[in-house]
Amino acid sequence: MTFISIEFLLFFAIIVFTYYLIPHRLRWILLLAASYIFYAILSIQFIPLLLASTALTYFTGIIIEKQETKKQKKKVMLVGISVLLFFLGWFKYFNFVNDSLRAIAKYMNWNYTVPYQEIVLPLAISFYTFQAVGYLVDIYYGKQKAERHYGYFSIFFAFFPQLVAGPIERARKLLPQFKVEHSLNYENLNYGMKRIAWGFFKKTLIADRLAPIVSSVFDSPNPTGSQIVLATILFSVQLFADFSACSDIAIGCARMLGINLTENFKQPHFAVSISDFWSRWHITLSTWLRDYIFFPLCKGKKKRSEIYLAIVITFLVSGIWHGAAWTFVLWGLIHGFYRVFGDYTKHFREKVASFIQLDRSPVLHKWVKIAITFLLVCFSRVFFRSDSVTHAFENAQLFLTINSWRPSGIVKAFEIFPLLDLVIFVFFFIIVQLFQYIERKNASTWKWLAQRSIFARFAFYIFIIVSVLIFGVSGNGFVYGGF
Amino acid sequence: MMRNIEKYRNAFINVLDLEEDDVCEDLELGVTSEWDSIGHMALISEIEDVFDVSLDSEWITEFNSYLSGMELLKRLGVDFINE
Repeated sequence: MTFISIEFLLFFAIIVFTYYLIPHRLRWILLLAASYIFYAILSIQFIPLLLASTALTYFTGIIIEKQETKKQKKKVMLVGISVLLFFLGWFKYFNFVNDSLRAIAKYMNWNYTVPYQEIVLPLAISFYTFQAVGYLVDIYYGKQKAERHYGYFSIFFAFFPQLVAGPIERARKLLPQFKVEHSLNYENLNYGMKRIAWGFFKKTLIADRLAPIVSSVFDSPNPTGSQIVLATILFSVQLFADFSACSDIAIGCARMLGINLTENFKQPHFAVSISDFWSRWHITLSTWLRDYIFFPLCKGKKKRSEIYLAIVITFLVSGIWHGAAWTFVLWGLIHGFYRVFGDYTKHFREKVASFIQLDRSPVLHKWVKIAITFLLVCFSRVFFRSDSVTHAFENAQLFLTINSWRPSGIVKAFEIFPLLDLVIFVFFFIIVQLFQYIERKNASTWKWLAQRSIFARFAFYIFIIVSVLIFGVSGNGFVYGGF
Repeated sequence: MMRNIEKYRNAFINVLDLEEDDVCEDLELGVTSEWDSIGHMALISEIEDVFDVSLDSEWITEFNSYLSGMELLKRLGVDFINE
């Protein structure tokens, strides 16, 4: 039962109906049961790990709080975090480290006998581990009280709308919301349903329609350079549609239960710099990395070079978090390099913009920056999408070859689309761009829509639903669900 | 002995390479190219050293202008008036 299924919608409808029917004091039991059922349906074998991680974090939090000195608190926090990271490391990184060591041993002619292990990645482990680590650190710093109600804490750990792929929430934002009684509210139901429908729209009409097209190029043994360029740009569109749809559905489901989750995206492909991109893409991970990795690494650092190192390390962690493969490590390092290089050349680039008088036309200057940022992000995604380092470098070389960008080659590359799929994709892509354009002009497209006539509003809602039902394609899980 | 307000101003001048006249109450993070997100981290380290305080992540993000920095430091016991 994934988000994109009739089963999930029925399941969620029953939860919402029951949620508002039963008294507040029983709702945590319903949410907890729903969360565990949802997780069990997707990945029953890892329920014990989820329960163990929950219990570990719960008790570690309380023990940290009970310590008298800062030093003791730190010790307990580090033990708790180490165990959580051990779980994550074992399931997610064991084979990555094992394979890397084996390759090194082979290269050095050493004897290495640890065999490959068949280890399945537990669903959502990267997300709930980061959420748990943040919780323990916040208790250590006194920013969060250790939750004593095991039920509420368990929901915080496994709240089903955001369990699989975030947003990664902070306890101080999420926990209090479970304790407040939410009455049936038309605005919440209305907004929640619209966000869910919009998530279905992006997932089934953009992301899952593009997925096989992109795969046909990246899985091909000898793609042309123009195909790689086109497929990489399409992959960027796919990834955004996929992940933001997942967040839309999570935010929409939570809102229908009266709970506000943190927004995870702010039109990242319209960022004017790499740092701007990271303040718009997967915002809850970016802020998590900033607060729990980057800021601590910057403590006491006054030289720009020291802060540059902290940036690179933070992006390295981001890369490793995304996946246990060298392609993700490289992807993280590329973003670290972008960020550092961008800062180092800031004044030079300003001078160049001034010399060629680009800064005299702010709108053009902004769009040039948007285009360059988008292309830089696309280039990094060659590594994100490629299935091995060798392929990544081959694809990156093709991406950077000038011939790959010849308009005639790009037009020919569109042959990877069956004609009907191309027409459908272009049509719905334009709809999403219009939606985003209205959002950029009005802060919220939904509010803008609310000011239109009832006929226009319902026409749009019906259009979303009918489009999903007729042209929607499903079957793929969420890309970030695999992390 | 240097007054706290002077120490505070000097932190901006020394770390961000600003001229004395540039350090004013209107100064905000991101408005000048010197006080960008990277310069901000260096400024935080300098302020932590100078005033012997520790700023956590929330305060680091809350500290986004000359005046908000003073407000934060006041909350941490730094006296800018009766010293």
